[in-house]
Amino acid sequence: MRYAGMQLLLSDIQTDPSVAQAVPAMTADGRCVRCGQNLTIKLPIGLRYCPVCVNLGRVVEGQSLYRFDAPKFPPTSSLTWTGELTPAQQVASDQLLKSVQVRREHLLWAVTGAGKTEMLFPAIASVLDAGGRVGVAAPRIDVVRELAPRLAQAFAHTSIGVRFGGAPWPKHDVALTVLTTHQLLRYYHCFDLLVIDEVDAFPFAHDEALMYAAKHAVKGSLVWLSATPSKNLLQQGRAGKIGLSTLPRRFHGQPLPAPKLAWVKKAKLPKQLPTQLLMQLKSLVTTHRVLLFVPDIDWLVPITNALRQQLKVEIQSVHAQDDQREAKVLAFRSGQIQLMVTTTILERGVTIHRCAVIVLAADSPRFGSDALIQMAGRAGRAVDSPDDPVWFYIQHYTRDIQVAITTIEKLNHMKAG
Amino acid sequence: MACLLCGQPIQIDWTIGKIFSLSGVRRPHLCRACMRQFTRIDQATACPGCGRANSPQLCYDCIRWQKAGYPLLHHRALFQYDAPMKAFIEQYKGLGDWRLHLAFQDFIQPPSATFVLIPTEAGHYQVRGFDPVLGLFDHLPLHQWLQKADTPVPQAQKNRAGRLQTPQSFSVRPQVSLEKISQIMLLDDLYTTGRTLYHAADALRDAGFHGTITSFSLIR
Repeated sequence: MRYAGMQLLLSDIQTDPSVAQAVPAMTADGRCVRCGQNLTIKLPIGLRYCPVCVNLGRVVEGQSLYRFDAPKFPPTSSLTWTGELTPAQQVASDQLLKSVQVRREHLLWAVTGAGKTEMLFPAIASVLDAGGRVGVAAPRIDVVRELAPRLAQAFAHTSIGVRFGGAPWPKHDVALTVLTTHQLLRYYHCFDLLVIDEVDAFPFAHDEALMYAAKHAVKGSLVWLSATPSKNLLQQGRAGKIGLSTLPRRFHGQPLPAPKLAWVKKAKLPKQLPTQLLMQLKSLVTTHRVLLFVPDIDWLVPITNALRQQLKVEIQSVHAQDDQREAKVLAFRSGQIQLMVTTTILERGVTIHRCAVIVLAADSPRFGSDALIQMAGRAGRAVDSPDDPVWFYIQHYTRDIQVAITTIEKLNHMKAG
Repeated sequence: MACLLCGQPIQIDWTIGKIFSLSGVRRPHLCRACMRQFTRIDQATACPGCGRANSPQLCYDCIRWQKAGYPLLHHRALFQYDAPMKAFIEQYKGLGDWRLHLAFQDFIQPPSATFVLIPTEAGHYQVRGFDPVLGLFDHLPLHQWLQKADTPVPQAQKNRAGRLQTPQSFSVRPQVSLEKISQIMLLDDLYTTGRTLYHAADALRDAGFHGTITSFSLIR
């Protein structure tokens, strides 16, 4: 059954809807049953609709949501991955598996580059082997695209579906679904294990609708993965309300590269680049690929042009609405592009071998401490180059910079457990 | 205030001039980043007949309308119909996200005239729950003098040739008197071939209107 575990509007359904259970899509007091929000807007015709989840098809009062059953699959032996976890990864992975077996919520707090995905495999396998359903959700489409092939390789005989806005509808039922967090709104009591990756990332943080979706999509255990978890989740973990495992070391065992500070005047940015930056880039591009983060999309073009005049390497820029985003990231990863000027869009989910990170105007209010930690986390991910340089170019020392640097230092001194 | 498209807060750069401005402050409904993806049409280089971008001379299509005996509408439009604008129209008209009717109202400030709205079909109103053209312009003093008979296929589902062959389906509502009016500006969401607007102008002239007719749309 292609819609197993989903809750859909009649206009979405191409098969017989009578096999599904129909429930009102909006409560009498105007709460959207799909996203849980009570922010309806009245149409001129007099009916209310929910604007919060309208991108998935409009929920109007009087309509129904059709909920399809999520039956079990036959038992199987799903894991085809033959790699090995490091002792520290194994400890975290075992704790996670234990939580999943007792259907408990769990937070896996692991630094950027710790090998989170591999640590999930035993828990995912335990659910799939019993004929259950697994969902792996990430807020950003780039992360979904990076996760799906890795999971497909690790579970080579398992049916896998990928769901994001604009993707074709599933043709048949799948045991393992990789999806954007937004798509979770279309699932109801479906997943025996639901993993939410990068829980702190925009747009999931603070988004109540998606939090509601996660809780409703799951019927077994909910697992949060994060390099920079919220205070709330950490407190729940430390109080024992949910399972918690921490992994402060990267898979290669080396500490996170600590950001260094470069003090420059910001006044002439982006028109005039600091000499110090140019000098540093000139030497860096001979040994590393470089990610240059900027706080404002308007800075991309002038800075890229200025750098192209000064440096004789391939330089590109990328941002969220860039049509060629996927192709550019691929070219950067394969080494055809040496220097990438980018907004925070590449702050997470991107792994580049031998990659130096420079954050220009790191003291900008646009960069929170989470974003700074994530950007710094793009460096030093490979075993043969764990200490790639990370530089924050600043004029003022801000609270967010302080929090980012002390968090990284703390993690570097912490023990796993 | 939050951006209607991305939900991020909108930053307004307050200046002394703006605070004390007598004309009132324009309240944007879209943030800078979302606004930037749309392409404005430069009026100085737009076609004098239809408002098409980058056509300072009368374009071929307008010459054809002229040759067919239609007085030109001297149409003006604000934005090009590119991929981001298509995505906007899909969310507004396709998904039916009524909130978006406000998105461009602070830009839609046509010179004053008697504004006559291009009507939508009754069937579409029932499905959407709103009139998308009326929504875009409901900050202006509007007249709903035209009515539209139901047509089997909507304009949006036709190709260019099909659009141009569309028969007249507009008429002026009974009891509307056009006698004291000298200038009418027709308002629509989108100008594609011009067929809709020239039909509307015909309907006004058939009802005895002798003044000038111009037209305006959000998109061209």
